[in-house]
Amino acid sequence: MKKLISIFILLVSFAFTSNSYSKTEIHWWYGNSGFLGDVIIEIANRFNESQDEYMVIPTGKGSYEDNMAATIAAFRAGDQPHYSQVYDAGAAIMVAQVKNGVVIGFEEMAEKYGIDVDADNYIPGIKNFYADGDGKMIGVPFNSSTCLMYANMDILNEVGIEEVPKTYEEFEGMAQKILDAGYIPLLQSHSPWIWTENFFSRHNLLMTDGNNGYDAVPTKTLFAETEAFVYHWTKVKEWYEKGYYGYKGRAWGDNQAPFTNGEAAFWFGSAASFGGMKGVLPNFTTNPIPYWDSVTGGKEYPTFIGGAANWILNGHTEEEYKGLAKFIEFMGSPEMDLYYHNMTGYAAVTKGGIELAETINFYRASPYHKAVGDQLGLEGSTIPGGYRAGNWPQIREVIYENVEPMLNGDITVEKALSNMDKGAAKLLKQFAKTL
Amino acid sequence: MKKVQFKSNYSQYFFLAPQLLILLIFLYWPIIQTFKDAFTMQDAFGFGSQFAGFDNFLFIFSDPSYFTAFKFTIIYSFVITLITGSIGLLLAVQANKVMHGKSAYKTLLIWPYAIAPAVVGVMANYFFSERYGLLHHLFNNLWGFNWYENVFDAYIYVIIAGSWKQISANFIFFLAGLQAIQKTVIEASIIDCKSNIRRFWTITFPLLMPTTFFLIIINITYAFFDTFGIIDTTTIGAPGSETKTLVYKAYIDGFKGLDLGSAGAQSIMMMIIVLVITIFQFRYIEGKIHYN
Repeated sequence: MKKLISIFILLVSFAFTSNSYSKTEIHWWYGNSGFLGDVIIEIANRFNESQDEYMVIPTGKGSYEDNMAATIAAFRAGDQPHYSQVYDAGAAIMVAQVKNGVVIGFEEMAEKYGIDVDADNYIPGIKNFYADGDGKMIGVPFNSSTCLMYANMDILNEVGIEEVPKTYEEFEGMAQKILDAGYIPLLQSHSPWIWTENFFSRHNLLMTDGNNGYDAVPTKTLFAETEAFVYHWTKVKEWYEKGYYGYKGRAWGDNQAPFTNGEAAFWFGSAASFGGMKGVLPNFTTNPIPYWDSVTGGKEYPTFIGGAANWILNGHTEEEYKGLAKFIEFMGSPEMDLYYHNMTGYAAVTKGGIELAETINFYRASPYHKAVGDQLGLEGSTIPGGYRAGNWPQIREVIYENVEPMLNGDITVEKALSNMDKGAAKLLKQFAKTL
Repeated sequence: MKKVQFKSNYSQYFFLAPQLLILLIFLYWPIIQTFKDAFTMQDAFGFGSQFAGFDNFLFIFSDPSYFTAFKFTIIYSFVITLITGSIGLLLAVQANKVMHGKSAYKTLLIWPYAIAPAVVGVMANYFFSERYGLLHHLFNNLWGFNWYENVFDAYIYVIIAGSWKQISANFIFFLAGLQAIQKTVIEASIIDCKSNIRRFWTITFPLLMPTTFFLIIINITYAFFDTFGIIDTTTIGAPGSETKTLVYKAYIDGFKGLDLGSAGAQSIMMMIIVLVITIFQFRYIEGKIHYN
């Protein structure tokens, strides 16, 4: 009996302790790992320390794809988080879910729960990427990157190249020199993202019909019929055969590793890649991605926003959304924006963050951070700042599936690109049926 | 025949209930759900669901990479079955002859069986890494190995990764089979025939047929379904979609591509394929096997 009583007392005291500490919990799922994941945890910690009503609990679910799949599965099971990080390729799917009541748009949330950060406080390019057809911002901009060119300045100095190439023509002219010195001239980590989607944006070309999906649900991609795109891949294949370009499979890291180890002169990766390189590679610079002078006639155009946004999911209590609103406000503050920009290399997404960076002369101290804003901030594009195409994760897979046999010589460039178009058209049609 | 009669008409259901419940929840319900997915068109979150007839099936049949996956799965399961079966048998026969330290050999040979496929894949990844992979360097010196774009090289990569662990399973069952053969049969055969090899093929191997048949089914099932983790941690289906198994393709389309209709249709196709293979095996192969 004594035992029973003591167990009872123990249980009751547990119940009280957990009760007295209870804060409103807000679950935030994300798809970054390693260093970028650590920064996310740090952001949540800082928010949790800044107030004691709410507690943000970040949970890493693996990659972007993993997190999106986990979020969807959780939603279908009625167990979704409040806030989830979904990447660029999933944006069309998430925006389409507002009408089904899965996603709460940022502006609706801001109105209802009084978020002090206005949608107009975010940079227009980034805001539009995550907005619906009427221009209402749905996703909350978070880690926004774009593809950049990293250059190993030691190698360039060694072979006597003074200027980093601005165009692919310039790159082509110096590649043989680099190869002769025993280095790989060029590597890149993501064929669909860097050399497909952002090839189109960088050259101010439409990628799908329906104005990249902004005016109408797209039915096809314009890969094979875009002359410049055929030309680009013909050149890439030629470079691959000559050894100017080295392909190391689909894994991001396998393509980055030779550059980080000082074996390659140029590497195309994400603006957020430099964190892992700083301190490992002694002398590198970040530069805008090259373009074909012959295609744009010397003009430069901005690339699409890459990375991810956070999306507010429906189905929770008012109290919890109030907390989430506070958290969104916290993350949208100039200080946090600049902190994240500085730590990761992702672009500053708020006007306040950019102003703050300028007032403290941030870019003079850290020139690495400048290229991403410069490239995204270019003007003069006549195409939309993104694409609204469903089933895009699978279309990326189709692109990969055709790049390899093309480089291998099993199929011609024209055949590979028309295969991509065919595969994409089928997937787009499939997606259109679910709308 | 004596009939055993229960007094109550319901008690048998009571005893069956737990097992039936498990079957219902973990087997029948998912199967029904898969059928539902395969015949509907819906978005990732399950909205806009509408009856699609055979559209999802037509969709996968018009997809060239589905046939590539089909071809690879057949090749893969055939090669894996052959390699793991023959090496497993060879090791079992040799280990069966060992006099001293028998259990040490056995234990060491059985160990890899306990390793999860995903871990095997990560280990293979290391061996085939371009930067520090032993096997990569060996093959590269022999013929210029490059699995990133060469289909044959990618096959070698996933076949070695997939076989290694399964050899252990084959080894255990063959060893058990060998030890179950009666000593008297072996001794009698020694008197009749001097040649070790001939004795093996005419006496021992036929007596191992039930084990072999069992292992063929197990190995095919393994290559079909359990190699998922290995593919995901090694080639992720590259180059092209040449090393995607049917299961891996269904996973990619369903969970990464978020197209449940297509993934459901692929699951049903897989069910049909396995059904056909199993019927074929039991109809035509099992008839030729003599159990004791």
